[in-house]
Amino acid sequence: MGKEYIFKAFKREETERTPWVPFVGCHGGKLIGVNAEGYLKSSTHMVNGLSAAIERYKPDGIPVVFDLQIEAEALGCELKWSESAPPAVISHPMINGISLQQLSIPKKEDGRIPEVIKTTKILKEKYPDLALYGLITGPFTLGLHLLGTEIFVGMMEDPEMVHELMQFTSQVSDALAGYYIEAGCDVIAVVDPMTSQIDPVSFETYVTPYVSKTFQFIKSKKAYSSFFVCGHAQQNIEEMCKCKPDNISIDENIPLDYVREMSLKYNLSFGGNLKLTLVLLLGSKEDAQKEAVECLDIGGKEGFILSPGCDLPMDTPPENLEAIVEVVYDNYTRDVVRTMDIEGTSLDLLNMKDYGQTDKVIVDIITLDSESCAPCQYMVEAVKKIAPHFEGIVEWREHPIKKMESISFMSSLMVKNIPTICIDGKISFVSKIPPKNELIAAIQKRINEKLKLKIKSKKGEILILGTSKNECIQAEKNVMAAINETGVDLEITTSTDEKILASYGIINTPAIIVAEYKLKAQGEVPDVRIIKEWIKDI
Amino acid sequence: MSEILEKIAYCVEFGKINQQSPYPPDMKGQLGADELTKEALDTGLAPEDILKKGLVIGMERIGIKFRENKVFVPQVLMSAKAMSTAIEHLKPFFQSGDVKRSGIFIIGTVAGDLHDIGKNLVSMMVEGNGWEVVDLGTDVSADKFVNAIKDNPGSHVGLSALLTTTMINMEHILKEVKAASPETRVLIGGAPVSEDFKNKIGADFYSPDPQGAVEYLNSLVA
Repeated sequence: MGKEYIFKAFKREETERTPWVPFVGCHGGKLIGVNAEGYLKSSTHMVNGLSAAIERYKPDGIPVVFDLQIEAEALGCELKWSESAPPAVISHPMINGISLQQLSIPKKEDGRIPEVIKTTKILKEKYPDLALYGLITGPFTLGLHLLGTEIFVGMMEDPEMVHELMQFTSQVSDALAGYYIEAGCDVIAVVDPMTSQIDPVSFETYVTPYVSKTFQFIKSKKAYSSFFVCGHAQQNIEEMCKCKPDNISIDENIPLDYVREMSLKYNLSFGGNLKLTLVLLLGSKEDAQKEAVECLDIGGKEGFILSPGCDLPMDTPPENLEAIVEVVYDNYTRDVVRTMDIEGTSLDLLNMKDYGQTDKVIVDIITLDSESCAPCQYMVEAVKKIAPHFEGIVEWREHPIKKMESISFMSSLMVKNIPTICIDGKISFVSKIPPKNELIAAIQKRINEKLKLKIKSKKGEILILGTSKNECIQAEKNVMAAINETGVDLEITTSTDEKILASYGIINTPAIIVAEYKLKAQGEVPDVRIIKEWIKDI
Repeated sequence: MSEILEKIAYCVEFGKINQQSPYPPDMKGQLGADELTKEALDTGLAPEDILKKGLVIGMERIGIKFRENKVFVPQVLMSAKAMSTAIEHLKPFFQSGDVKRSGIFIIGTVAGDLHDIGKNLVSMMVEGNGWEVVDLGTDVSADKFVNAIKDNPGSHVGLSALLTTTMINMEHILKEVKAASPETRVLIGGAPVSEDFKNKIGADFYSPDPQGAVEYLNSLVA
């Protein structure tokens, strides 16, 4: 596992499981309660944040630092820091009179580069099996940091100047790539999002010659390379492939199958493109799993690396990423998500109000399919084994959710995980196969409950209402006789209180009201939806 | 009359700023939007016609090409540059009231976000399509938007964001704007923004490209 999977993917060799690289940037700060600024400035925080991410997200590879302003800062761009995002460049030195000749290639000691190097070294030691990604700002994006949007106009009006700039920024790329490889990075990712804003001809003219050299340089240093782009960059994917990185990584703005075809054509690895905002940041765990399965199904097992489209938003709920980990590592979870997805949400829910009210105890096992899912099989066998113990009182059924009706049954019982055991419609064992005695105890408990319920449900009250005591006497006698004849435990209350009469809206007297007490729940607080069902029954 | 307007439209479409400009290479040495607009005014053409039958036509064409991925940011910036050079000549007529513009559009990048490329593109396209644009810049708070609406009654608002983290701020600004001025239409855009997100926060309009915003705004005054 770990980096071997990534290296295999880079070589387009089949892996038994798709490698997974969550792009944890300042999100690492969230995991340890440090804001983006504090996090991205301190190797101690970054090591702690990434360690937390590695424990929770079980990645095969991870970026050391995701911040495309490091080189710009070292070259004199002013930054504005933020609480929950990487900093933004707010001044472009080359617009403010600084010439290219006055700039020099950042050294290992400049800006925050030492923090990145330090973080890399510590992580390398701590997690030797993990592929460490050193991220460098792509030469075009760095050019934009230095020159602002004038770079676009320059491409039209002063091509020579832009070539000189690109020459310089790509030398910066090479220098940083060298530092990071030396520190222990296994992969260098050139991240050049601003190239999404230019056309393929401009890309070929101004980006290809320089980035290609950087990828050659990375190869010569025996490291792997990746080319990241975010935004609407579909027009340039083929040009990116021609630059010969080992891998292309894209975000949700580009269809994954398009990139798969293109990378296949150029025999490259490819990665992406979990939706950052709508799914990872704002979606639920289920949304995240569904999205991950979609990506995995398109990506396949040769050359694909599952990752978010770009730097994870800082506040991405960790649960959503952990949900993806389940999908990455567990075939069954993946199959479940896939099956659930087909059926969608437009299911007719069953009315479960009276479920489990029969004399027998019903044990339902929700499975993927006990024939193809090992945990499901063991769960079914566990139930099968203990059922005879109850001599016909317990009835069990398997509901393989490959069948439509089983899915609607599963949803009606509010079951979310596979496999699950429900006893009389109540979720009792989720995912783990219960030991024999626990299962027996759970069923026995239900049998006892039912017995108690049966006794208590006989309780009730008969209310006799009249305007005077006399008027009620005959009614009382008759009710009493009936109770004696049936032997039921009932209370009789007689009332001549006008207010009580009025509260029942009684006009003609005497009147008899029968109230039935039914124990519906004990030792737990039922869901509002369930209580509503009872109320409807009154 | 229409010949010079067509030439102006062509210069805007292809980003020919003035005679000295080396771009586009095949128009080297020819007159650009700058000289042609001045010439059109000198020959007595109505400033409003120059705007709406010349500049706007050129901007519209480049806007459509941008939407169709035929051109990208550099080309659009050149067009916008040509357009704004030409519009300099028309400014006095805007102030005197001789040229009526379609309406006022307030735009800004939302609080916490300092990215302005997309915002500037939309701003230039909307202006080039005959609207007055009040550009509040970047990192703009809800208060600033609300105050700008008060200063410019009947205006509409565009919110831009590049970051997933700041895109979330759109919802708050939208609410404040709608609370202060329910009839103001709020348009949103930016790389992480989508139609789904628009629906989620309840904004009036989303477009993945500037031309969409132009067309929506024009539909409001049609």
